[in-house]
Amino acid sequence: MATAGCAHYSKTEKAASQLAFGTEVARKGLWREASFRFEQAVAKEPQNARAHNNLAVALEASGEYARALAEYKRALELDAKDQYIRRNYARFAEFYTSYTRTTGKTASGS
Amino acid sequence: MLLGTVLAASPLLAGVSQVRLKLPLKPRLPLRGNEKIALAPFLVVTEADRARDKRLQNVDLQAEFHRFLKKQIDKKTKLEVIETPPELKLPTQNLSELGRATEFWKSVGTSTGAEILVSGSLEFRVEDRSGYKTEEYVSPINNQTYYRQVYVEQTGFVFDIVFLVFDGRTGEKILQDEFKDFRQTGGRRADELQGLFENLFSLENQILNLFVAREREADRYIFTD
Repeated sequence: MATAGCAHYSKTEKAASQLAFGTEVARKGLWREASFRFEQAVAKEPQNARAHNNLAVALEASGEYARALAEYKRALELDAKDQYIRRNYARFAEFYTSYTRTTGKTASGS
Repeated sequence: MLLGTVLAASPLLAGVSQVRLKLPLKPRLPLRGNEKIALAPFLVVTEADRARDKRLQNVDLQAEFHRFLKKQIDKKTKLEVIETPPELKLPTQNLSELGRATEFWKSVGTSTGAEILVSGSLEFRVEDRSGYKTEEYVSPINNQTYYRQVYVEQTGFVFDIVFLVFDGRTGEKILQDEFKDFRQTGGRRADELQGLFENLFSLENQILNLFVAREREADRYIFTD
């Protein structure tokens, strides 16, 4: 597991640690691992809009669009004023609408 | 499986990073991928201005576009391009009527053996968007901000393509889509063929996406703390 040897992130019980580690692996393009970390962060702090946003991005990058949609919406519910969350959601919505229009897939499909 | 890639680690605001994802674009047409496709002539939209513009008279739009499209389909898809008979004439010069000419397209499909038929319309023109624009100006004398009108010259080439795609067996239209691109030129003496291909290369991804899956890049923000 990627935590091995990462003393800096050893306090995995904290949502902030999971968020930071998830961001680091996301920057390397390791989106599956990032999803796992952001899910952990969301589990620790379900009211953390930033964690939901990051999870949404990771899920989108992994092709799990239906789940990404739910997470973007949750992030927006929790912090509707954050410009980055709003922008992410708007851009995702544009993509997702076009994607479902051309494939005929609904929110249940990824 | 698609993977997101990272654009930059440079923070925008403290605690925010921009990442770039690669997202799939499904093909617009429900194809197996190895169909026989015939590229029929396109209607060439000619305006009075174009007829007067000597630069555009030198461009064989039909031939250049046909060559470009065939090359792209050959190179980037598994579709089999079938040549249409050189004597093939479109039954009308009206785009709407062309889209409804079911019997004509059925006969083209039967005679060529193509499962998919592509036609539409092409318009290539010089567009002058020059004009006066309001600009902010700070006076070096009194440091006050004023607004002034400046003349901005902006000329470019516009390429407007309407695609009509037909089922070769039934002659029914299965898709209609329009792509438009404006490329600003360096000046009024820009080369028209270069302009044409700049427009086409810019539209390449969208055009190919009619037939095959493509990817597009998209930026997102993640929080680092």
